[in-house]
Amino acid sequence: MDIISVNTFWTIWLLVHLLLAVALLGALTHQAVSAVMPVRQVAGPGGFVTRFRAVPAAGYATAICVLWILTFIVGSYIYTKYRIYIRIPIEQAGYWKTQGFFDFKEHVASIGLTLLPAYWFFWKNAQDPQYDTARKMVTVYLACACWFLFIVGHVLNNVRGFGS
Amino acid sequence: MSTTTSTTRATPSPSSLASSTKFKTFAITFAIVGPVIYMVCLFFNWPLFTFHPATNRIALGWEAARSGEGPNMTWYGWTATTLLAGSVVSFLATLFPETVTRKIPLILVWLIPFLAIPYLAWDLRQWWFHP
Repeated sequence: MDIISVNTFWTIWLLVHLLLAVALLGALTHQAVSAVMPVRQVAGPGGFVTRFRAVPAAGYATAICVLWILTFIVGSYIYTKYRIYIRIPIEQAGYWKTQGFFDFKEHVASIGLTLLPAYWFFWKNAQDPQYDTARKMVTVYLACACWFLFIVGHVLNNVRGFGS
Repeated sequence: MSTTTSTTRATPSPSSLASSTKFKTFAITFAIVGPVIYMVCLFFNWPLFTFHPATNRIALGWEAARSGEGPNMTWYGWTATTLLAGSVVSFLATLFPETVTRKIPLILVWLIPFLAIPYLAWDLRQWWFHP
C-alpha cells in the first residue's frame, strides 16, 4: 500500500532540494561578503551590512561543503524525473533558452563540486596569508554559482515545477 | 563600545587533514584539473556511463537514446568521468615531492572555473540560437 502518492513523493524531494539550497545560499552569501569585506574593527553596534558580514566565516566551510554535496545529490536524484516530465514539455513548448539555462546549471553545479576540497582547505588554513586571494576568489565563485543555480532552479520551477 | 575582530583569521586549529601537504596538493590539483576534465568530457562527449531514466538502464560510455525507451542522460556520466579522472590525476600529483607541487600556481584554482563560464555558454549555443 502506498503511503503517499508518487507526485507527493517527488514534491517532497523537490522541497528538500529547495530547503538545502536556501541554507547553502545563505551560508555562502554570508561567507562571501565576509571574505570580500571583512570586519576589522567596529566602534558601536554597526549597521545591518556590518552585522551581515561580521560572521565567523571560517566556521561555515565544512557546513557549506556538506550542504553543496547534499543539494547536489538530491538535485541529481530528482533530475531523473525532470528529464522526462519537465524537460520534454519545456522543449515541446519551445522554451529553448530556459532549457539552455538548466543545462548551464548542471554544468556549474558539477564544476563547483570539483572546487570543494580546495575551498575547504583554504578556509581551514585561513590564518595563512598565501591563500587569501585564492580563498576569496573561490568563495566568491561558489557564492555567485549558488545564486545562479538557485535562480535558474526557481525559474524552472515557475515554468513547470511544483504542482504541474 | 563594542569590538569585532577579523572574521577570516579566527579559525580553529587545523585538523590533520587541513594541515596535510598531500591533501593540499590533492585539493589544489583537483580544483584545477576537475573543470578542465569536465570541459573535455563535454567537448568530446565522454560520459563514463549513460543513464536511460525511462527504463532505469545504465550503459557504459555513451549510448544514444533508443526508440521507444525515452531520452538518455549523459550529465551523470560526465560528472562521474570528471570525479574519477580528477581523483586519479590529483592522487598522482601527491606522489611528487613538495618542492615540485608547491610550484602549482594557486591562481589557476579560481581562474580556470571563471574561464569555464564562457566556454560553457559557447557549448550551449544550440539553445541560445535555436530557431
